[in-house]
Amino acid sequence: MRKTLKLIKREFISKVFSKGFVISTVLGPIIIMGFYYIPAYFRSHDEARPQVIQIVDYSGVVGERLPDLFDDKLENGQPRFVLSPVAVAAYENDPETFHQSIEDGIGDVLLILPEDILEHGTATYMATSVTQFDLIRLVRQRIGAAVNQLRLQNAGLDPQQVRQLTMPVGLKTVKISSGEAEEKGFESEWPVTIVFLTILYMTILIYGAAVMRGVLEEKTSRILEILLSSGNAFQLMLGKLFGVGSVGLVQYVAWAVIAYGSFFLVNQSSPEMIKYVDFSPGTFFYFVLFFLLGYFQFSALYAAVGAMCSNQEDAQALSSPITFLIIIPFLITVSLDANSSLAQILSLLPFFAPMLMFMRVQLSNPAGWEIALSVGINVLAILLFTWLAAKIYRVGTLMYGKRPSLREVARWLKYQ
Amino acid sequence: MQALQIEHISKSFNHFKAVDDVSFSLDEGKMFALLGPNGAGKTTTMRMIMNIIVPDAGSIRIFGEPFRESHKNLLGYLPEERGLYPKMKVLDHLQFLGEMKGLSGAEAKKLAREWLERFDLAERAQKKVMELSKGLQQKVQFIGTMLHSPRLLIVDEPFSGLDPVNTKFMKDVLLEMKKEGKTIILSTHMMEQAEKLCDEICLINKGKAVLQGNLDEIKQAYSQNSVTVEYRGNAAAVQNLPLVESLNDYGNYMEIRLRDGARPGELFRLLAESELEIQRFEAAKTSLNEIFIQAVKD
Repeated sequence: MRKTLKLIKREFISKVFSKGFVISTVLGPIIIMGFYYIPAYFRSHDEARPQVIQIVDYSGVVGERLPDLFDDKLENGQPRFVLSPVAVAAYENDPETFHQSIEDGIGDVLLILPEDILEHGTATYMATSVTQFDLIRLVRQRIGAAVNQLRLQNAGLDPQQVRQLTMPVGLKTVKISSGEAEEKGFESEWPVTIVFLTILYMTILIYGAAVMRGVLEEKTSRILEILLSSGNAFQLMLGKLFGVGSVGLVQYVAWAVIAYGSFFLVNQSSPEMIKYVDFSPGTFFYFVLFFLLGYFQFSALYAAVGAMCSNQEDAQALSSPITFLIIIPFLITVSLDANSSLAQILSLLPFFAPMLMFMRVQLSNPAGWEIALSVGINVLAILLFTWLAAKIYRVGTLMYGKRPSLREVARWLKYQ
Repeated sequence: MQALQIEHISKSFNHFKAVDDVSFSLDEGKMFALLGPNGAGKTTTMRMIMNIIVPDAGSIRIFGEPFRESHKNLLGYLPEERGLYPKMKVLDHLQFLGEMKGLSGAEAKKLAREWLERFDLAERAQKKVMELSKGLQQKVQFIGTMLHSPRLLIVDEPFSGLDPVNTKFMKDVLLEMKKEGKTIILSTHMMEQAEKLCDEICLINKGKAVLQGNLDEIKQAYSQNSVTVEYRGNAAAVQNLPLVESLNDYGNYMEIRLRDGARPGELFRLLAESELEIQRFEAAKTSLNEIFIQAVKD
């Protein structure tokens, strides 16, 4: 036990004070902050000030209906949209001026409604950016609504009645969590979850591979036999797994501190952004829990591969199946509906659980027993993998040269 | 007290018998050589003593007790393939190795400083291992093996890959350890070194112990009828002399084993009468090398 602690300490110190660790610890959050805050910044700023929409209405009838439809309010009570009608003649006369005004930011959007819009025409949306999907969707809906109203009216229906009949249905997303309705749901949680999943996936991959590389380095630098004269193979392996794992934890904590710090600062400076960002302590707890579950199952396997091989090439080749066992669950996780029964089953299984169960906890609120079962199954898997890896470690660490065949490795498992 | 007692140990790898029913024992304070050609099973035997490999059969007792994990703190082991963490600082590394042998951090650090001082490495204490020359790295390695003052020191091919300066250094360190009353097992295929250093030997060939015991006694037993001759000329005829049992000819030098009852003086007379130009004639104890070849042949 004491020796295992010494090994952990050595591993930890040698990694934490390395340049690579410092760089990734500092750069990581910057990239993540980018993920979080840049979209949130734009989304909140898009809304913070009214959008000026200039409208050139060739039809002469659709434009006048739009002010009623674009009646959204900003949080500060100001109207979200300012519609400014442009005379067709003025536009025809000198379209460049109007285009220029959009480019100069005087107006945000130039909307052109053609004469035949009621029959089959297509409206044109001009802006400096055509990737503001929310806004484009909104504009399309509203124009559509106006056109529909007119068509129905032309068919002889009462405008009041038409308005009532074509009233759009609102849709609010609400996530039910521990019996409380939380008015955030999918829109804010999915991007955050994706970011967390990506970090989970990357760190498991990176730290797993670091374990493998570490074992391999100890083999090639021939320090392993020296270590074996002081401790046994099991101690050495645990030292490696916990040593590298504790480095990962420290990195997570550092990231969390930076994240909460910046969250706090952002909250101070522009509170309206916060509703797009979810950093609850619960999220962090599950994040660390599933990192540990994932890290220990994969790193035990990586340690075994490192012990089997004597050079980087062999290790690369032999570890690729394990890498796939990380990549495939990740891809499945991000493409699977969190509430599907497939997700329910897979989130219990080793390899899948760390990412999938984390996603379900974030998005679909699984039952407590499901989480407990998943953790239990994965802890058992970790014990099994560690036991197997220790067997391989014991024999493999003294084997140099040709990469062993699977049959040979199977024989190692039977050695005393 | 017996430092080590090995009884009938065997170890196979994939049907290859690396060590086959080897037994020997060793009193405390002795220097013991495990001799044999490459691949004879020396390293496997040493790894079994260190419990790095578990024997398939047989038993090993260390200081009278069956192996316990804590015995490792009493043992020092220098494997043939040596290694250190290249990026660790020398002092930190030695401290780590000491701690792995059960020393406290402070103790290990203090001892490491003393040893570094002793070997003129004090000013390298804060250097990274990889910044040191190969020879200095070897020294650091030895210090790491001996830092915790092991009661039983096991060194596998201690002289392989060493330049003459470090070979002498290694030899001096081993002798010093012996003077301090430590028990030492070394393996080597260089017979001259073993011959000069060791009290007892065990010759291993193809996994089997072919000869073992006190070195002087063994030499006595093998030496009665042996002669070494330095000469110039063609020595082909010597082989056929009736009193020669066997002969190992190096071209200008030969080791001759006489038949039982034949006297060296008689051989000298015969050689003197032959066309050979005799430069030196010595009725000597047989070299360990000769004994080894003899024993393997038997």
